[in-house]
Amino acid sequence: MAFKQELLKNLILSLRARTADACRFSAMSLQERKRAVKASADVAMATARGGGARWPKAILAAAGTTSSNQSCKVRSSRCRRVVRRCFREKRRGGSAAALAGSAAASSVDVARRLVRKRTMALRKVIPGADAVMDEASLLREAMDYVVHLRAQVDVLRRVSEAVQRSSLLRDSVWPQSALRGKEDSSSMRQ
Amino acid sequence: MSSRRPRSRASGGASRISDEQISDLVAKLQALLPEARLRSSDRVPSARVLQETCSYIRSLHREVDDLSDRLSELLSTSDVSTAQAAIIRSLLM
Repeated sequence: MAFKQELLKNLILSLRARTADACRFSAMSLQERKRAVKASADVAMATARGGGARWPKAILAAAGTTSSNQSCKVRSSRCRRVVRRCFREKRRGGSAAALAGSAAASSVDVARRLVRKRTMALRKVIPGADAVMDEASLLREAMDYVVHLRAQVDVLRRVSEAVQRSSLLRDSVWPQSALRGKEDSSSMRQ
Repeated sequence: MSSRRPRSRASGGASRISDEQISDLVAKLQALLPEARLRSSDRVPSARVLQETCSYIRSLHREVDDLSDRLSELLSTSDVSTAQAAIIRSLLM
């Protein structure tokens, strides 16, 4: 998969840059190191994805590597308007329900409210999705993000396993030939 | 059981997003979720799909965090350049 290879390349380059100064890397606290690796993984994923979706730009903006401050300001003011509108709707809906009393909310209204609630929750977990986005775009964005997140998990897992294997090779007392036999038998392509 | 969304809620742009388009996208999203979370043979309400997507994304985030932690620990004892050949070999083979 071309995306995974691109992600891997970006990740390796980023990690090499961070660990090149071995003294500085090991001098970092555990938390700092974890954050650095996680940041490398996210930036690698966003860069590999490119411009086809909204979430990569949001990740890169958060990482401080883009200079699109202007668009951010515009987006955030639009966000405030949307949030205000949502709160107004909620308040109106709440008072109407209180006044209605005996009139039961139709199942359609309940379903609609639940979908809205779930949609808002979904916006929170996808980077950049809290901006004004219609339902269809949000769903497409969610699909795109899930697919690439899965790829990121897969690449990170393989990288960890490979680093672990190479340090075992280096530190082990077994002869190289026996280890190579073990490597070939284990399935690498999953 | 999927909710019917009124047309007037289509925001931004002149294109009107139809109910069918939305439920088609929800079905596609449902197909992405792992089998354990949703029985894809049944018709699942949109709200449920959205909820499961949310929790799936959160669990993927947790996996990324755990793997990053593990990788950062490994890198403190090893270094990337010596592992690079092994990594690339195992991933591209």
